[in-house]
Amino acid sequence: MTTSAPPVRATHRLATTGVVAGSLLLMLLLALPIVTVVLRSGVTGLQQLGADAELRASLWLTAQTATLATLLTVLLGTPLAYLLARERLPAASVVSALLDLPLLIPHPVAGMALLLAFGRASPGGAALAAFGLAVVGSRTGIVLAMLFVAAPLYVSAAREAIARVDERYESVARTLGDSPARAAWRVTRPLAGRGLLAAAVVMWARAVSEFGAIVILTYNPKVASVLSYDRFTGEGLDAALPVAAVLVILALVPLLALRTLRARALPGELTR
Amino acid sequence: MIRVDGLGARAGAFALRDVSFELQGGAWGIVLGPAGAGKTTLLETIAGVRHVDAGSVTLRNTDVTRTPPEQRGVGIVYQHAFLFPHLSVEANVAYGARDRAYAIEVARRLGVGSLMSRAVGSLSGGERQMVAIARALAPEPDILLLDEPFAAVDPRNRTRLRRELRSMQWEHSLTVLHVTHDFGEAGTLGDLAILLEGGRLVQAARPETLFRRPASPAAAEFLGAENVFAGTTTPMESVSGDEPGVMLFRSGSLALVGISDAKLATHAVIRGEDVVLSRERPGPSSARNAVAGVVAEIVVHGALARVTVDLGELPLVATVTAGSVSDLGLLPGSRVVATIKATAVHLC
Repeated sequence: MTTSAPPVRATHRLATTGVVAGSLLLMLLLALPIVTVVLRSGVTGLQQLGADAELRASLWLTAQTATLATLLTVLLGTPLAYLLARERLPAASVVSALLDLPLLIPHPVAGMALLLAFGRASPGGAALAAFGLAVVGSRTGIVLAMLFVAAPLYVSAAREAIARVDERYESVARTLGDSPARAAWRVTRPLAGRGLLAAAVVMWARAVSEFGAIVILTYNPKVASVLSYDRFTGEGLDAALPVAAVLVILALVPLLALRTLRARALPGELTR
Repeated sequence: MIRVDGLGARAGAFALRDVSFELQGGAWGIVLGPAGAGKTTLLETIAGVRHVDAGSVTLRNTDVTRTPPEQRGVGIVYQHAFLFPHLSVEANVAYGARDRAYAIEVARRLGVGSLMSRAVGSLSGGERQMVAIARALAPEPDILLLDEPFAAVDPRNRTRLRRELRSMQWEHSLTVLHVTHDFGEAGTLGDLAILLEGGRLVQAARPETLFRRPASPAAAEFLGAENVFAGTTTPMESVSGDEPGVMLFRSGSLALVGISDAKLATHAVIRGEDVVLSRERPGPSSARNAVAGVVAEIVVHGALARVTVDLGELPLVATVTAGSVSDLGLLPGSRVVATIKATAVHLC
């Protein structure tokens, strides 16, 4: 007499096979282009770093502007994230929607919007000019574009990190004599610290990879993404690939930082 | 002194409504109530960390309803301690202290002096609660709010901690408001017992009054009264003003003489320990109630026994010693007479 597996088990096996195959296909689609770029031009790109002054300057400019945009966002965005996390902001849903908007619009459109709002002919541009700042063709433009497209990521992640810290820690600190700001600084900030750092790393990485908004505002000086595009359109794929490969390899730095931060438990989360 | 008048506050979907009571300065108040009654919300509102929607909070004869928590001079200890996990035990205890030496002395008195260099993560639940109490006392508040502070403390340390806290209360004239589920704690520590249910105040009275004369059948059941019967009452003696009156309670064929604070009582509450069992009808005595029945069940818990007597339509629970059960030769089916003083039949 022969026995056969029950139909339920066969269906389960088929579903499992489908899920695994689908996951592998997606991973292949994501990894293949990146691996191809690194394998084909990674070594050349790293060698080129020593000889290519324009590439080095471009990478340095990218790192500087992304860091400045991130610092500005941390300074301005952390209090906003705190108010959103603690639900102490009037019209919080409107604020949240405004924060999500830059993530949803095409980045060249973001660049055009920034140009309209802060270009030379605009009132915003005139106000910036009064402080000796120009948005078009300048580092200020790069920082502004990076901030516009990446700051919402920071605020959103920072809000989640702060919300994970139980508000009763602050309540206790208040009864022990702290003002609201002091309690947030002495208690919530350290407990949400890793989450805030991870949010800043995500923002920095997003700022470094930005192209669409920056290229509208500031083609020159060239950040790394604009340089790779410039070489692709001016000199072809072979000239652009080493730059692209270096960018991919450098992207591993924030990726590793994030993995390290997320591997450690947040002390404030343990007691929730 | 703590006084709340018509206090209302929200905590998510939960609302505390129209709560009023006064706890004298230097007194120990106990807050009782089932889960979700609003006990923690009440403490948080008094501490100032939760917004007051209605009514007022008065501390030391000063209205502090709009005063921020850091200016109220109130210490709070949560059930889950909420020690700051990024700080050492010593830094936690000294967090709000004006005098570090005093903070360390408080920690020593509460038995956590040896833990000062430890990380918070290495402490047991009981140690966390003791450190949280030391932290709340270190800034020398004269009002202390405790939310089940002994829940995770082992029995030996609990007794020592209660004694030490009581002694510190006397030394510093501390006013303490203490949430607990332990009725024993309410009886031994409390000068005032406050019973909350569903965000409303059910009763605020001395603990013995609360337990002996609960304001409602629900309160009686929550406070562990074994016998709560629904029925009707008629006055036997004239009831004047707010004086308790003698009334006749009827529920089916059961008739009991009892005492009521209210003219329209609908329930009789009898604590099991107030019921006296005998095999025969006793001779003349001051007890006004003697009802005959049959033992339905005997459950022995150590030295005590819970005897359920079937009165025909209603079961009456008597709490007696296991020795009495043995001396009377009680078994299921035994005929007994239950004697209850009228003053032990609380009509509400």
